[in-house]
Amino acid sequence: MSLINEAIIEKETRILDEIKLVEGSNLWAIVMRRMKKSQMGMIGFYIVMALLGMALVAFLILQYDALFGLNNPTNDPYDILNYYIEIWIPGTQKYIRLIAHPRYIIPGDQTLPPNAQYPFGTDTRGFDILSRTFFGSTLSLVLGFVGQITTSVLGMIIGAVSGYFGGFFDDFIQRLNEVISAMPGFILFIFVVAIFRDIAQSIPGGLYMVIIVIFALIGWGGTSLIVRSKILSLKQTEFIEAERALGAKDARIIFRHIIPNSLSPVIVVTTLGIANTIIQIAALAFFGLGDATAVTWGDDLAYHRDNLLTYWWMPTWPALMIFITILGFNLMGDALLDALDPKQKS
Amino acid sequence: MIKISLRSYALRRLLYIFPTLFGISIISFALIAASPGDPIQIRLGLWIGEQPDYEEVYDEIGFEIGILDENGEPIGVVIRYFRWLGLMKNQYGVRSGIFQGNLGKSWFFTQSGNDGKPISDIIVGRLWYTLFLTTPAFIIGTILATVIGVVQATRQYSMWDKGVTLASLIGFSMPVFWLAKLVMLASFYLFDFTGATQGDAFTEPFITNPRFYLFLILPTITLVLTGLVFLARLTRSQLLDILRQDYIITARAKGLNERRVIYKHAFRNAMLPIITVVGLALPGLLGGSVMVEGVYGWPGLGSVFLTSALQRDQPMMMATNFVFGAMFLGFRLLVDLSYAFVDPRVRY
Repeated sequence: MSLINEAIIEKETRILDEIKLVEGSNLWAIVMRRMKKSQMGMIGFYIVMALLGMALVAFLILQYDALFGLNNPTNDPYDILNYYIEIWIPGTQKYIRLIAHPRYIIPGDQTLPPNAQYPFGTDTRGFDILSRTFFGSTLSLVLGFVGQITTSVLGMIIGAVSGYFGGFFDDFIQRLNEVISAMPGFILFIFVVAIFRDIAQSIPGGLYMVIIVIFALIGWGGTSLIVRSKILSLKQTEFIEAERALGAKDARIIFRHIIPNSLSPVIVVTTLGIANTIIQIAALAFFGLGDATAVTWGDDLAYHRDNLLTYWWMPTWPALMIFITILGFNLMGDALLDALDPKQKS
Repeated sequence: MIKISLRSYALRRLLYIFPTLFGISIISFALIAASPGDPIQIRLGLWIGEQPDYEEVYDEIGFEIGILDENGEPIGVVIRYFRWLGLMKNQYGVRSGIFQGNLGKSWFFTQSGNDGKPISDIIVGRLWYTLFLTTPAFIIGTILATVIGVVQATRQYSMWDKGVTLASLIGFSMPVFWLAKLVMLASFYLFDFTGATQGDAFTEPFITNPRFYLFLILPTITLVLTGLVFLARLTRSQLLDILRQDYIITARAKGLNERRVIYKHAFRNAMLPIITVVGLALPGLLGGSVMVEGVYGWPGLGSVFLTSALQRDQPMMMATNFVFGAMFLGFRLLVDLSYAFVDPRVRY
């Protein structure tokens, strides 16, 4: 008898906990509270937040240089004086520099292993690797974010329109999607980037702008399928019917009702997709199709890819940063998947 | 009964591959046609040596690669596409295209002088290397992933499970090309052997060459690891879902022993989602094989593709893209057909 009572009490407390978790808050607060229960998910969340903070700080510091520094008007990499940023620990001598400009070439200090003065070492070009890694975070993360979010938004719009209207457009999109998904993603990506690399000279933003656009144009398939299948089930529901009876236009139904209702799987796919995007763009750079002048982890890794046996510290730091970023996004994405869809976990 | 329906299903799926391949060829041809830059100049730029008479050579090369006609006028894209397919006579008055098994001549891979090698020869020669690398890696990876997933799911939250989960999480977050580099590094310190391929490993016939198998080891290990971390996670979660089902409780309540419950009741039902996952992982595995081949210098299709992409060898890229698409569709067909063998409920 007492056993049954205990079981009932346990069940009640669990339900009460769940109610306390849910009451009086919007979806995102609930998701956040559910995520807090998952230790690994929170680790991932903190990693991502720390990286975003780092990228933001790096961006702001670099803007400071662009605004108030001398800004190297001739863009000459050997012009030492014109790269202005230097951050050093207060109270120490100035040559114990923490961070220098990512393009600042330290005269005479090439290929030094990690030491007190250069914690991550210097590379064959004379760059301080800590500075390269720090300032490289901005573009690396921005590429992952912008590439994946563009892909998701494009997929959402295409999926919503094709699922909502159906007919010829839907058929066409489905066939196109089948053909694109029949080409292995990374191979298609390399193929298109290799062909269209030359446009970069005439486009503001350079090669990485082209790469992001290409990535979005070949990657929308997955998201569009998710949104489309969601819409096909939503289309029959009463609230869409009611909205239509009230005389709402198609655009309003799609953007105000259908897309918000199919958002949660898309958010999970996007979070996990950012990791994949970062890998893909780094791989592109690794195999020689990146922008060698850009300051990103992928390009630094590509430049030093053959130095692993001789100068281990040169490729290791950018590779480690890529690894940590992807780990963070994967952990966060998994936890988000559980938090947004608690039914699946049972 | 089921045999006939399976055969007709297989036939239907096989026929369904062709429109998709057609679509792939249209898309890649349209992309190449829309791409910036003058293909004749790219072809000329790949020539080794000096070009004394640029203007003359320009028209000649344009005619040879089928972009200009005899008078130096450009040929339309549609006509070039039909010539590439082999439905129209080409500049030499012969129907020779993909239907005749001819994929054109490479721009970068040349034999004597500037005469490009026939692409079909290159692909047939290199395809075996890729298949020899990917197929065993794929099979070993799937089997190992299944075993590890079963062990993890049956001993949930044990040290084994936690350790493997952590390891697969780390492996999952590791870019494939970097994993390949690390495998090389580890092998260098352990065995003084980096696995970067050397010429003597590929003397024909490679099947009877013992050096070939030595150089096969490290790329295979890398590919197996990349497939493993992806598949083992999913096998574990699928099997865990199934172990919570009511019929498993029934089976246990009947007094079946644990081994029988897992292998007869749980595992067979988990096979179906696992096969789906394997099908989903295929493009990643093919892309991964390109990366692994690139890192190890493995002379398969992937490194041919990478080289041609870097050198803008357009007909070669077009052909390899097509072949990779065909390979992917073929593998996917096999995966789909294996549903029928695993699950007797599936009827087509």
